[in-house]
Amino acid sequence: MKYNFIPILISVFLGFTFVSFSSSNLEIIITPRFNNKSILETDWYVTSTKDSIQFTKTKFYLTNFKLISNNGEIKVLENSSYLIDIFKPETLKFSLKLPHFDNNDKLYFELGVNNKMNTTGAHSGALDPSNGMYWSWQSGYINFKIEGISPSCMTRKNKFQFHIGGYQNPHNTLRNFTINLNKQNLELNLNLEKFFEFTKLSKENQVLIPGSNADQLATVFYNAFTVF
Amino acid sequence: MSENEFQLGRQLFYDPILSKDQTISCASCHLQANSFTHTDHELSHGIGGIIGKRNSLALMNLAWNSSFMWDGGVNHIELQALAPISSENEMGSSLNEVVAKLNASKKYKALYFNSYKDSLVTGQKTLLALTQFTVMLNSYNSKYDKYIIDKGGDLFTQQEKNGLKIFRENCASCHTEPLFTNNEFRNNGLVVDPFLNDYGRMQITNKSEDSLKFKVPTLRNIQFTPPYMHDGRFESLKEVISHYKLGIVHSKTLAKELNSNLNLSHKEEVDLLVFLRTLTDYEFLFNDRFSYPF
Repeated sequence: MKYNFIPILISVFLGFTFVSFSSSNLEIIITPRFNNKSILETDWYVTSTKDSIQFTKTKFYLTNFKLISNNGEIKVLENSSYLIDIFKPETLKFSLKLPHFDNNDKLYFELGVNNKMNTTGAHSGALDPSNGMYWSWQSGYINFKIEGISPSCMTRKNKFQFHIGGYQNPHNTLRNFTINLNKQNLELNLNLEKFFEFTKLSKENQVLIPGSNADQLATVFYNAFTVF
Repeated sequence: MSENEFQLGRQLFYDPILSKDQTISCASCHLQANSFTHTDHELSHGIGGIIGKRNSLALMNLAWNSSFMWDGGVNHIELQALAPISSENEMGSSLNEVVAKLNASKKYKALYFNSYKDSLVTGQKTLLALTQFTVMLNSYNSKYDKYIIDKGGDLFTQQEKNGLKIFRENCASCHTEPLFTNNEFRNNGLVVDPFLNDYGRMQITNKSEDSLKFKVPTLRNIQFTPPYMHDGRFESLKEVISHYKLGIVHSKTLAKELNSNLNLSHKEEVDLLVFLRTLTDYEFLFNDRFSYPF
């Protein structure tokens, strides 16, 4: 982990209680878990509704990062879109280049892809439609995908598939976070057990279109995160 | 936006490399001679001889479309090509697969470099190049256009003028000039095909008020775009007119304009058909810039 200690040391030296971080990187670290277990493609997990599951895919978007200063000033971080894949460790850590920020400043970001990026054509990088996080028969990004298998699913190859998206009201599936910045990194813990808390996989194992089901699952997924 | 990008898009449009088994290109269902649709095919064909669910739409004046596809599911021209590339009934591939194939092609690496100063093929660049070609498919040199520019001079015969008058009185509220579409969705009173069970716009919006609504298509070059309707059920314009005269099925979502049947004498019907032929734009249909590039 790369910390920039110099500004902290200077602040401590000067005895300021108001810590100021000069232009530096804010490290974002994502830790996917199933309760307290790490998630492996080869392992089985049991949900609180007693379904045995194995994960084959979990991907989601974190986008549109903004630094909100104490004085209300908002600095949008251009092109800050990240596609996180829990099975690709290189996507679980990234750093944001922030201008000078103080410990009372806040970081805003979105879980999913917002309306503007859904309605302005083909984008690049993490948002390139060739990443497979885009519907084709109906325009719109898939904000997150959770796929796996469970003997409870009476589907082809016992698969469960949740492709959640939809940018239009009343079922806009975008969710957002606003977090106080008080250190040089931000940890996002994703507890996937919570995603299955209300789902009985024998009954609900496929949500692949926008709508009220997708909307509800977007909230459930959002609540599976703890940020500190 | 550049000539190089247009030419790259043209190559992609005509290249079956976009399909899973290298058999289907965009031009398979969008032929220039038919104003970029597929004549004599009710429903589009895809890889392995699979037959799709809808009649391919003609491609022209796309920059003025507010949505794409018969059901309006696609919200931006740059993303339109994803639908046929990914559909199992059409090209059966994915943008990801297409990008990998193009990145392995020396020819395309060079063409991408010429367009983007970077030979790396990406999904975005591929979609932008296709857009650059399709957005240039503009038809505006029909006899009708010349007549309008001439401010109603003698370019039209009396019969064509009469047909235009009938058109404006009976058809223009949906097929609005100058695009000959209002870009909206209407239920035009067709019986639901029991094999296709296609409810159109409702499948996108999940709203019952959109049941059986489909995009109002442009009528430009209509003479060369048969068969007609989203499922290609009518082979001739005569059949289309008889549908509006006698075949309307009334239902909750029927377009209010169609509450009463089209009431035309035999002579008026012929005049209308003659007028519709003035929407043919031969300069567009035979423009070399849009033709097969290989």
